[in-house]
Amino acid sequence: MSQMQEELRQKAKELLEKGEVRYIIGWGKGRFHHRPPIFIYQAEDVDKLVWDEYCVANLGKYLLDDKFPEGKIGICVRGCDSRAVVRLVQDKQVKREDVCLIGLPCTGKVDQEGRELVKCRDCMHRNPPVYDIVLGEPVEEKGNPDRFKRVEELEKLSSDEKYEYWSNVFDKCIRCYACRNVCPACNCRECFVDQYRVGWQGKQKNCMQNQIFGLTRAYHIADRCIECGECERVCPVGLPLMELNRKLIKDLNSLFGPYEAGVNPDVKPPLGEYRLEDPEEYM
Amino acid sequence: MRRIGVFVCHCGSNIAATVDVEKVVEAAKTFPGVVYAADNKYTCSEPGQEAIKKAIAEHNLNRVVICSCSPRMHEATFRKTIADAGLNPYLLEIANIREQVSWVHTDKEKATEKAIDLARIAAAKAAKDEELFTSTIPIEKRALVIGGGIAGMQAALDIADAGLQVTLVEKESSIGGKMVMLDKTFPTLDCSACISTPKMVTLSQHPNIELMTYSEVTHVGGYIGNFEVTIKQKAKFVNHDICTGCGLCETKCPAKVTSEFDQGLGKRPAIHKLFAQAVPNKPVIDKNSCLKLTTGKCGICSKICPVGCIDYEDKDKEVTKKFGAIVLATGYELIDWTKLYGEYGGGRYDNIITGLQFERMVNASGPTDGKIVRPSDGKTPKSVLFIKCVGSRDVNKGKSYCSRACCMYTAKHAHQVLEKIPGAKAYVSYMDVRTPGKGYDEFYMRTLEDGAVYVRGRISKIYPEGEKLISLGEDTLSNSNVTLETDLVVLETAMVPNPSAEKTAAMIGVGRDKDGWLQEAHPKLRPVETNTGGVFLAGTCQGPKDIPDTVAQASAAAAKVIGLLYKDELETNPMISKVDPQKCAGCGFCIEVCPYGAIELVDFPDRYQGKKIMRKVAQVNGGLCQGCGACTVSCKPGAIDLLGFTNLQILEEVDALCR
Repeated sequence: MSQMQEELRQKAKELLEKGEVRYIIGWGKGRFHHRPPIFIYQAEDVDKLVWDEYCVANLGKYLLDDKFPEGKIGICVRGCDSRAVVRLVQDKQVKREDVCLIGLPCTGKVDQEGRELVKCRDCMHRNPPVYDIVLGEPVEEKGNPDRFKRVEELEKLSSDEKYEYWSNVFDKCIRCYACRNVCPACNCRECFVDQYRVGWQGKQKNCMQNQIFGLTRAYHIADRCIECGECERVCPVGLPLMELNRKLIKDLNSLFGPYEAGVNPDVKPPLGEYRLEDPEEYM
Repeated sequence: MRRIGVFVCHCGSNIAATVDVEKVVEAAKTFPGVVYAADNKYTCSEPGQEAIKKAIAEHNLNRVVICSCSPRMHEATFRKTIADAGLNPYLLEIANIREQVSWVHTDKEKATEKAIDLARIAAAKAAKDEELFTSTIPIEKRALVIGGGIAGMQAALDIADAGLQVTLVEKESSIGGKMVMLDKTFPTLDCSACISTPKMVTLSQHPNIELMTYSEVTHVGGYIGNFEVTIKQKAKFVNHDICTGCGLCETKCPAKVTSEFDQGLGKRPAIHKLFAQAVPNKPVIDKNSCLKLTTGKCGICSKICPVGCIDYEDKDKEVTKKFGAIVLATGYELIDWTKLYGEYGGGRYDNIITGLQFERMVNASGPTDGKIVRPSDGKTPKSVLFIKCVGSRDVNKGKSYCSRACCMYTAKHAHQVLEKIPGAKAYVSYMDVRTPGKGYDEFYMRTLEDGAVYVRGRISKIYPEGEKLISLGEDTLSNSNVTLETDLVVLETAMVPNPSAEKTAAMIGVGRDKDGWLQEAHPKLRPVETNTGGVFLAGTCQGPKDIPDTVAQASAAAAKVIGLLYKDELETNPMISKVDPQKCAGCGFCIEVCPYGAIELVDFPDRYQGKKIMRKVAQVNGGLCQGCGACTVSCKPGAIDLLGFTNLQILEEVDALCR
């Protein structure tokens, strides 16, 4: 790990010195095991970059804070960050030529007690599918055979049981919108929840309006979710949000064929594409 | 303040028999904003419309809800009614309580309940209706006809005769289509070529018609009144400006290949006219079989051409033209029975041919000079079996539909066998005989009197035995098995859409039904229109037809084109999508899902973190947008709204239903 960190700092230094990038987004040392995002502009600051088992946050979303950059942005990408960038490029929020992806094959991250994170346990792509530079050796993909196991369990419930289950989930939601703020699929200029419109998302914090928020958000990111699990990780009340996202991914796969968001930049999201052979069961 | 009037129609007994109209009126009076409600025997009639106008004036109504038939039936009528009364025509809502209620339900109590729900929804939406205004766009007074068969020719001639300019695009080297392949046409038995070739000549000489043969449409942009179409003229390798059509080249060309026009029964040279009476009557070189173009050795045609019109360097050319209207007349092909019917040999037996091959054979200018022969040995068959519905009305192997023309041309084929081969036997295996047309049943009866033997039942297997073909089947009228021993078997195969129609339809944004036929806007009331404005259908591209129906539909399409192009300006539909550039993030999802290509990303000046920047936002082309609403549901932040069906209106409708 430390050898990779050294390689990363070297590479970052090289890129900054040659002026190939204006700055680099990576992880820095925070308190204890925290590794907050860090923005390195000077070659002499590259030693602030950290690469270890605590580099948890998905960095892709930070590109949205500089959508019209004055120079290229270097960004450290694991599998999940890489997919986030691909999605942002596909949504035309980031130009591919504006970013330099520094690929970092990843073997999963841990919490302060050293336990593997849930989002890393479920990871399908430890190697960045898209990158400009890659450091270290590719790591073995372990896949996620249990990807839809929980969804299948939930599908077995009756409609009433499902309603009760999700009502309980969203009863706890405090509508802090952390899930939305961290999500690389959420890149609207003005989120539907923030808009004031008659008959739109209510601003009250109650179970009904929370459900509307949670379900609408799930539908909005249905074919854009890259399964980075950040929503679930940052949720302060621990809602099982990935269960909802995976249900929609499972349904999309059965309707439109296998699809993984952000893996192949040339494959369009199934809901953002019109094909003659699309199923039309309702016709 | 909203002052809504609700008018509930009895539609004679169409609605009133299943829906308690008075109850709907009483309920409507309680809806929010409704100040007046009444019923009427026939709302669309003159007195019905007058009653609406009177109520608008007397009760100062500013929104109108009509509970009647489908808006596709009378929306235009009622819009005009309220416009006459001084209201903006888009302040109208129609609750469809006929097609969606009375015609599909039997329980009067529940049907009434549903009718009240639909009326409540419509009133809630009407309350949020805003005035909408049409604008006008200029019209390019030139029509494009795609396909030069009898449908395309008829449409082109009718439009041109009305004094409008027409461009006819045909992918083959001659116009004429399938009709010129045929020998005689039922039920009058007049010669197909004799009635179609004069039309071809008239068309080629018409001052208002530009004929583009050996050409294909490669791109269609624009919208009703202003289509921009790119047409590829395939390389002919013959300069038609100087070619005299003498035909010398054809006689000397050494490369002989199977003739598509003769359905594989004859040969043609690489440099060829499609058929003797081709229009234009000048040859083209088929680049895939020409020796000079494939191997570089030959060049005989160039040497013997008396005017020196052969040009081996000829290239495909593309031209872009503007048109106000498009007629699709892409026609049909026959189903490939060899892949579907293994029990008929799947194409292994020479003496099983298709109806169109039979037509070429019996045609005096065909490969056998009009003689009916067995392809295997050239002998005259003494007995012929015709099998109808091969691929038609066969849900398991072929198509579910009836191909409509086969019953009649089978009768004609049987008649021709009996007439041309003295002492011959003609058998017809059939499921039903359908003869709904002028003089059609008389023709069928005549064939029966001629001696054709009709056997009601399907043939289950055909196999050769010696020189004969043995066909096993069932006679369902006598409940017995039949074994027919014949010299020749003719399969009357199903019509299927021309495969090239799929691409053309997708380019123009015209829908297709489950079988691939182009979709008309309404099967009864708008049979030649499509859901794309300014695009019309003629002939078999829309569904199987015989020649009389094809010609009638082509003339109908021409009438629609003339009606459109005779206007100087076109009123646009104001119920189109509108983008809020402040909310739009420029992701372009709406562009991908728009079936009409009506949305594009344009530059939008904005500020971002203190900098002046140019970002992309979606913009709707009002001429192209058909108001389908696909974009609005693809837009996550709700930056696109469909005027007349805004998100707010739809939410109001849902709320009203849940009340």
